[in-house]
Amino acid sequence: MIECLSCGRRQEPRLICADCGTPLPASLDCFAALGLPRRLSIDLAALERIYHELSRKIHPDRFASREIGIRDASLRATALLTRSYRTLRDPAARGLYWLDLTGEKLAENNKRVPVELAELVFDVQEQLAGMHDAAADSDSARGLAAQVVKRRGELQATMDETVAELERNFIRWDQSSPESPGKDHKMLTMELKAILSKVAYLRTLIRDVDRALENSKAA
Amino acid sequence: MERIFGIDLGTTNSLIAAIENGAPRVIAAPETGKTLLPSVVAIAPDGAVTVGERAIEMEPHLTVEHGGQVSAVGYPGGEYGAVIRSVKRYMGLGGDELAPEDRARYTFADLAGPVVRFQIGKRVFTPSQISAEILRALKDGAERALADNEREKVERVVITVPAYFNDGQRQATKDAGRLAGLEVVRLVNEPTAASLAYGLNKLATGNVAVYDFGGGTFDISILSIKEGIFEVLATNGDTHLGGDDIDRAIVDWLLAGLPETVNQSRHVWNSARMAAEDAKKRLSDLSETEIVVELPGHTIRKHLTRDNLEQMAEPLIARTLKRCELALADAKLKAGDVDAVVLVGGSTRMPIVRRRVAKMFHREPLCSIDPDQVVALGAAIQASVLMGGQGDMLLLDVVPLSLGIETMGGVMERLIHRNTTIPTSVAEGFTTAVDNQTHVDIHVLQGERELAKDCRSLARFKLGPIQSQPAGVPRIEVTFLIDANGILNVNARDERTGREHSVDVKPSYGLTDEEIERMLEEAIDLGEQDLEERLLISSRNDAEQILGALRKQLGEFGALVDRIERARMDEVAERLEEARMGADRELIAKLVEDLNEITTPFAERIMDAAIKLALEKKSVDELS
Repeated sequence: MIECLSCGRRQEPRLICADCGTPLPASLDCFAALGLPRRLSIDLAALERIYHELSRKIHPDRFASREIGIRDASLRATALLTRSYRTLRDPAARGLYWLDLTGEKLAENNKRVPVELAELVFDVQEQLAGMHDAAADSDSARGLAAQVVKRRGELQATMDETVAELERNFIRWDQSSPESPGKDHKMLTMELKAILSKVAYLRTLIRDVDRALENSKAA
Repeated sequence: MERIFGIDLGTTNSLIAAIENGAPRVIAAPETGKTLLPSVVAIAPDGAVTVGERAIEMEPHLTVEHGGQVSAVGYPGGEYGAVIRSVKRYMGLGGDELAPEDRARYTFADLAGPVVRFQIGKRVFTPSQISAEILRALKDGAERALADNEREKVERVVITVPAYFNDGQRQATKDAGRLAGLEVVRLVNEPTAASLAYGLNKLATGNVAVYDFGGGTFDISILSIKEGIFEVLATNGDTHLGGDDIDRAIVDWLLAGLPETVNQSRHVWNSARMAAEDAKKRLSDLSETEIVVELPGHTIRKHLTRDNLEQMAEPLIARTLKRCELALADAKLKAGDVDAVVLVGGSTRMPIVRRRVAKMFHREPLCSIDPDQVVALGAAIQASVLMGGQGDMLLLDVVPLSLGIETMGGVMERLIHRNTTIPTSVAEGFTTAVDNQTHVDIHVLQGERELAKDCRSLARFKLGPIQSQPAGVPRIEVTFLIDANGILNVNARDERTGREHSVDVKPSYGLTDEEIERMLEEAIDLGEQDLEERLLISSRNDAEQILGALRKQLGEFGALVDRIERARMDEVAERLEEARMGADRELIAKLVEDLNEITTPFAERIMDAAIKLALEKKSVDELS
């Protein structure tokens, strides 16, 4: 139970006092903070609307002239809201958070490059090394850079496909029966881990490619 | 409820504004009628402070440079005083963080310390203390302007900061407010404030780029506006890129070929800088202009076309556009997705800046509000939001730099990424590495680089005391919270006992709480004096200074004055001597002014003599 600093009402932990609308300094999970059910498929436009609506109600700018305790509650509640929104907005962050909620971790058993990405990772690194070694402003450097730009597009396409895969995994989670989780969830967890580790690798690759292109432009 | 005021604490000029009858308005100081207060602070060896236009007036007459030190010839006793410009460039920085050109400009005490301190006479001043003087001048000016109808006090303020200011620079700005006796209700990013001033909330939905090119800093912010919510998507910038750099490029061109002693003379450089700045401004309207710099025994006369100027400015503008690209990439937008571009800062008056910005964003930028006022007006609107006066409007700003901690091997582990909406928080678990360890050291960093040593050290703190336990058993959860001002707060909790740990965060740069308290006590002593009494003391100090200076100058350079001139000086000086014993402030002020006027030609002659001395070794031919 948590007590509202403004009206004194004791209530279940929530973001906003049910009686007077004052922010409460509660500890909530990301779904609860936004008042959402624990479902992985999220409509991003609706999510943004909820976030904006709640921000309007609890943001510190709304409590600038109140006593310090309430200002502090507003600060903490808004920080929680912002963090929850950012976590749920990004599908990969949402997936990782889901693992966290179900007591799983990505890092274990997932240190190796995912098999289906092994070849891609190798190729990209080869290309980047080639671009790095090529003499600045030479024809071969320009040729390699053009190849890397093309590769950047392919990586993005792979990323988009992987995120779509992730969304499909989310839907299956939401459809799985909460009464008899068991086997279903074990398989979904394994799949989720595999997809998330793929996303993580793709992100690193895209970042490396962007950096390499950045440097070649600067040279 | 008392009003909250908006303050633009600028590198070059500062302004104060408030909402009046529903619309934001900049408040002019009643004496000068001017809305812009130059961010220039003159400090006499005895601590007497002058701010704004009058401080600028003191600059050429009262200061000369020798031996690398800026000294005040106008002050008695031959002690050093100083006139400080662009103090914002020094806010929240340690000595090792100063750009070389900023380091050379003034004399500092202990550059190795966590905060730069100006050495002025026997006293030292932190940048926050100097900035507090500017804030106090704005506060006093506004209170005098409002005195007639309501005797309103300026106590609560919103202060704007460059979006790219780091934690230390923000903290230093807040400290300055406290030292000026103000409650800083909120720090707001300048570009964000500017977007408020343009009333873009009427634009129901869209993306806005704010291009803020001021005297000393450049900022770009990309915002998304939806039904009154201003959400900053990304921000980027350069705290050392501004119109001053364009002036400097012109000065280098003007003084090219001159001998070094002349080149480095503060007087020569200052004259050239002022001429350069004027020419730059003229070339916003004209296609060519003549620049004349009068030096003793020599005149520099050069012809500058707008084309030449644009060539000099080009590389600097290219740097700003690079920053725009980075911000767009962070916002995951293309230039064409931007629905409106807002121009802020005096440097955006240059036609080439407008052309380049229009080209980059494929649209004509908005510039209908005076770029010098737009930030202050926006600050007043944010102040009104804080008072509940703007309906549903709300600003969601971001933190400009990533925040993290140093982990094993000196690697920076990012906990909060740059461009994360604030306020935000992140909790991180810590434990011990060896048995019975009683403390865990935590080093907080800010920056985008991979290695801790390349990031800016923000703070260090010790967690503990921790109960003696085997390694890895204690679980302490540390919460890093960034508030709506972009300033970090830390607290820690033992996960087993739920007990809060006290966290004594020692900022790597900036002032400790104790230092602030001490400065505050000093400031309150001053604040409690009656305003009238302060003004009287201040005018007595003025009188003392000018009389002392005159005595000293007549002693050293008496030969430069003829008999008639000398008689007039003596007469006015004598009357001033008498008046300063009395309590008629206006009489004292008038006589100081008179004496100043009579002695100005003399002061100029002394200056010329000093410059000539410096130039003597070089032939005049070398100068042209």
